Amino acid sequence: MAKKITFYALFCSACLICGYIESLFSLSFIAPGIKLGLSNAVALLLVAKRDFKGALLVNVARILISALLFSNLFSLCFSLPAGIISLVFSYLLYKTDKVSLIGISIAGGVIHNICQSVTAYLLLGAGVLYYLPFLILAGLISGAFIGTISLLTFKRIEKHLKF
Amino acid sequence: MKKGDYIIIAVAIASVILSGILAFSLFGSAATSVTVSQNNKVVYSGNINTDNEITLGTNTIVINSGAVYMKDATCKNQICVNHKKISKKGESITCLPNKVLVEVE
Repeated sequence: MAKKITFYALFCSACLICGYIESLFSLSFIAPGIKLGLSNAVALLLVAKRDFKGALLVNVARILISALLFSNLFSLCFSLPAGIISLVFSYLLYKTDKVSLIGISIAGGVIHNICQSVTAYLLLGAGVLYYLPFLILAGLISGAFIGTISLLTFKRIEKHLKF
Repeated sequence: MKKGDYIIIAVAIASVILSGILAFSLFGSAATSVTVSQNNKVVYSGNINTDNEITLGTNTIVINSGAVYMKDATCKNQICVNHKKISKKGESITCLPNKVLVEVE
């Protein structure tokens, strides 16, 4: 148990460092709020290990802490529901065994961005739907990127992830 | 990469296209002004909500309840006459043979 908690804490801080690195450069010129989502590469490692509870725990903790550290609580409305829903979808897809980490990462990225668009639609009105195609495309590209990183990392550290 | 990955990518690309069509059809916002030019010279400019009929000799342009269309043209191909009504920002009708350009902004 103690080892598990330590691992989760390690993952969580790795997520936060990724989030910090991302906050240093902005991709918002493509569409407002676009990010690479590097920290999802870390969360995906837990999905790859089929530890759904752990992935959810780390993801929620990461979202809460990074909202406090790098942005504001208003951003939680965007990140928390999208984060949870996309993680659930990713995990369900991975359980089918018909997709690789890259596939679930793309699905997760796209679903995450769709969820955020829905939140933005509810909060800000229909005008934001204009960005939807760009956001889905961004989710696709960044998802493929993140999934590849995650897959390569998982291959190398799989044997050390014993908890 | 497994088989499912390609399905996911295909679905994602399809949703990009679908949402693109949706966004494009929703947000081509209504135009406010009409500009007609012939031989690169502006021959008419006015509000799109003022109904009007512009006769240029070669072409007849009609502005009717916020939409503009080419009613008549002496050109052979009649592409401009068959063009659908324009009403959204950035749309245009061109009559290439008569060098007439109708733009809404």
